[in-house]
Amino acid sequence: MHDIRGLEQLGIVAVGVATTEFKVAAAAQNQALGYDPAVVFVQHPIQDRSREEIRALADRAVEEILANLKT
Amino acid sequence: MLAMTQVAVPHIETSDKPAFPARTFLAIVKQDCPTCVLAIPVLRQIEQLIAPLGGTLEVYVQDDVSFAAGFSHACDDTALATSYRYQVDTVPTLIRLKEGQEDARAVGWQRAQWQAVTGISGLGENLPDYRPGCGSKTMDPRMPVRLKVKYGNTGLASCRIVVPALSDAVETCYERGWTDGLPVVPPTEERVLEVLDGTARSPSEVIGLIPPNLTPCTVEKVAINAVMAGCRPEYMPVVLTAVEAALMPAFGLHGVLATTNACTPVVMVNGPIARAIGMNAKGNVFGQGNRANAAIGRTLQLVVRNVGGGRPGEIDRSVFGTPAKYSFCFAEDEEDPRWESYAVSLGYSPNASTVTIFPGDGITQTIDHISRQPEDLCRSYAGCIRAIYHTGHVIGVQAFLAIGREHAIVFYDAGWSKARVKEELLDLLKIPVREVAPGRSGLSGLTAEEKADPNNLIPKFKNGTFNIIRAGGSAGKYSAIISSIGGRGSIEPVTKEIR
Amino acid sequence: MPEDILLDPTAETAPAIQPRLARPESIAGKTIGLFDIAKMRGDEFLDRLDELLTARGHAVKRYRKKHFTHLAPIELKQRIKSECDLVIEGLAD
Repeated sequence: MHDIRGLEQLGIVAVGVATTEFKVAAAAQNQALGYDPAVVFVQHPIQDRSREEIRALADRAVEEILANLKT
Repeated sequence: MLAMTQVAVPHIETSDKPAFPARTFLAIVKQDCPTCVLAIPVLRQIEQLIAPLGGTLEVYVQDDVSFAAGFSHACDDTALATSYRYQVDTVPTLIRLKEGQEDARAVGWQRAQWQAVTGISGLGENLPDYRPGCGSKTMDPRMPVRLKVKYGNTGLASCRIVVPALSDAVETCYERGWTDGLPVVPPTEERVLEVLDGTARSPSEVIGLIPPNLTPCTVEKVAINAVMAGCRPEYMPVVLTAVEAALMPAFGLHGVLATTNACTPVVMVNGPIARAIGMNAKGNVFGQGNRANAAIGRTLQLVVRNVGGGRPGEIDRSVFGTPAKYSFCFAEDEEDPRWESYAVSLGYSPNASTVTIFPGDGITQTIDHISRQPEDLCRSYAGCIRAIYHTGHVIGVQAFLAIGREHAIVFYDAGWSKARVKEELLDLLKIPVREVAPGRSGLSGLTAEEKADPNNLIPKFKNGTFNIIRAGGSAGKYSAIISSIGGRGSIEPVTKEIR
Repeated sequence: MPEDILLDPTAETAPAIQPRLARPESIAGKTIGLFDIAKMRGDEFLDRLDELLTARGHAVKRYRKKHFTHLAPIELKQRIKSECDLVIEGLAD
């Protein structure tokens, strides 16, 4: 979240991708930072997935990611 | 030299003994206190007598708890929580609690008082009858405010913002958009409380509605921005008056903010307070380096930004802006009595302190090294003043002329008053209709009658104000024009007395 | 003096949360940076995004920080800013 904030502070539109596990922590950090970054959540977990499953996560997430990069 | 052995035995009257189980005694001491050193053996006497009766003595040490070694209840009060709770300002202090509530105390060492509080006769017989105590550490510099923030109720209503762990306070202020581009002093509760010490006004008092958002601004909000700007507590009367003056309808603060022009509020202080708080009226008067000048002017800018919501790129549409929008604040030079000050010319007493807010977009110098006659100097001024914004601009233009000392001497020596100089200038600043600019800055603002003859003369300041003040260093044949948009009925200089 | 708590100097009429940067109306033809925060398997996710974005006509540039526990160095962020129009950061798990 800090990196996304830093990138937007430099003036480049940024969106983060995180797993659903991150939702609560991200919300808390946003409150603390006073910043609400654009974040797309994909289904947890990641580490034990096959390569094809991870690619499928990207397939399912790409539209939402791109939507967060424009109005 | 004091003997440490007792010459009389302390004792408790038999009839008093039943009261002791319900009593707790608190002794607040510090090692770095000669009277506390004297009192320690007395406290041991007390503990030895009351413990068998069920009484308790708690010894709180403000600096080094080893000072109370050997006592049954030696307590570390380096955090001063207990000292603050019991409002201890002198050590040693001996407090008697009955069922948890204080019902007596002795301050310093005074045998009669200690005997009355403890109910024990014969205490410290080898000691003098009286020895004053020392200052409690709760009274160390800045400590009262620090403890009030830590343990007390500051009564401040503003939202508390936590500085994130990976950031620091200065960066947090930047990230939250609170600054003017320069770093600000992080507004901690302690700093805000200290600055509020400079005014008797309640933090919750509403000063007024700050444009452009017309949000209510309290004394507390001004104090927070004053801390950020670098103000000292003694600037607060000036700061609060400056905000109040800027909100006077005649000044038209919204118009000053929501414009494509470069103008900004200028703060000028008259009267004794300027010298009292160390403002600059002399060399480099409009420049950097003086804390009061810089911080007071900056506070007004930050209040507009943070409380009013007036920011560049939003309501503030200024094409160029001006460095004056960081801060433009000064004191008028009142040292030479040959001309009255601006405030006095308005009718204020020379003993009154005032804040004047007028619009300005920076300074333009006029240079005249040659003229030794007042008429010649006025002609030099007129040429420069005529050119403000455009030589044919007569509507919605106004100015303050700050006359430097070497130029002022030309007028003083000729016996010209400020009013005489102004009269001469306004007479010179008349522009024939044929040279008046088209459009709303000129011809559109004239009547048909005025425009009828191209030789008709139109005053440069047809609807604008023009004022003369004294400021600046002692050497240099310069004066300075502070120009602005606005005029009578739209954006006018305003003055308010500091109370 | 601790500086971990500050008093809010604003009117507090706006939420304390800072808004995100304004988004463009269209991202057609824009260069998109994929910024890998260096958690394991994140590169596979970004590899697939790379393919999908390239197929949609975007130029894609790849970046990676050394370790996910560190903030991205300013030079890296500046490089992303100067070389890309938009950036996607991932994958945090």
